[in-house]
Amino acid sequence: MISARENNLALCRICHSLTDIPGEKCLVCGGVVHLRDPHSLQKVMAFWVAGVIAFIFGNVFPIMITESLSGSTHSTIIGGVVTLVHHGSYFIALVVFVASIVVPVIKFIVIFFLVVSIKGNWNISNHQRHRVHHAIELIGRWSMIDVFVVAALAALVQLGGIIVIKPGVGISAFALSVALTMISAMHYDSRVIWDAGNDEH
Amino acid sequence: MEARKQVLTELNQTYIACHVCDALWRRPQLGEAERAVCTCCGATLLNYKWRSAQRTVALTMAGLILFMVAVTMPFLHLERAGLFNQISMIDAIGILWLNEMYTLSVASAFLVLVFPLLQLLVFFAVGLLHLLRYPLTYFHTLTLRLTYMIEPWSMAEIFMVGVIVSLVKIGKLASITPGPAFWAMASLIVVLMMATSVHSRDALWEHVRSTK
Repeated sequence: MISARENNLALCRICHSLTDIPGEKCLVCGGVVHLRDPHSLQKVMAFWVAGVIAFIFGNVFPIMITESLSGSTHSTIIGGVVTLVHHGSYFIALVVFVASIVVPVIKFIVIFFLVVSIKGNWNISNHQRHRVHHAIELIGRWSMIDVFVVAALAALVQLGGIIVIKPGVGISAFALSVALTMISAMHYDSRVIWDAGNDEH
Repeated sequence: MEARKQVLTELNQTYIACHVCDALWRRPQLGEAERAVCTCCGATLLNYKWRSAQRTVALTMAGLILFMVAVTMPFLHLERAGLFNQISMIDAIGILWLNEMYTLSVASAFLVLVFPLLQLLVFFAVGLLHLLRYPLTYFHTLTLRLTYMIEPWSMAEIFMVGVIVSLVKIGKLASITPGPAFWAMASLIVVLMMATSVHSRDALWEHVRSTK
């Protein structure tokens, strides 16, 4: 197999047009075309670190503050899941738990593993790397569920009057964490996987 | 400039590279509803979907109508201690803003309303130009590029799951029934997913390249 790079041809990642002058602006769609996204893995790791920090804050601080006549309650992400379990809504509790805790944690591990496996030349099939990257790009956005739950609750209870629900600091940190990991995964130039790989070639 | 365009046109008519593994191939001549797969990594090189432009225009048109219903009509009806109330999507975002939850309000507005609307409008407009074989201007390709970039950030379907979870949480406080906008939003999600899946980026960029 011959790669486009060996012929000094670069592919635009947006409109999939080829150009023979890498680094120039794509004449078809206007994006900048590179042989490889420069510093792809550094960008991935930078957003990854920021995402992990935001995720910790999102889990430590309350995401929702409920004020009623009997006082105010602060609930965290895990607290919200526990409340749902106590109410007997096991399925919904599972959905929230998977979306808010399991998916982000898996995503952090997978991105880290992908970067380290490329840097360290681990003997892993390119297909497997590509498949897990594609999977985390698809499921990562679903972590936003909790943000929308807080938004919907905060808007809905305003109509009732007796209780007030306010978003806590945690929800902004959590939303930021989801956004940062999405950006992190997007910066991953899949062509780097195949450059590093030693099979198939 | 003209000579440069000529070189690039010829280059793109002869070769194609895989966006996943960077393998260079001779460009296959594909007809409508045909697909080329990279034999190196298995990724789809080209996918000229069946009647891509027609179906995109039809579905986004339906989507735009559903969007108008979803935004303006009541989203949820609430009944609590004899008091009846209803809330639309615009109301909800307004309530969040008025109660000084600016981040949540702006984030929800963009992720749930602005981005899906942008997708619908751009896919509709560009699809129509593609269908009528009109050339796309720089403005069109710029908005199209932007639309592809925001695609993962268009989160209407995630919002709907979030709403369902919040209804379970609030269930004991008030009796809530979905309004017309709720069903419009649910249908909009399906229509938008169908529109993005029948929309052929390759056929569209091919159209841009051939009319430049």
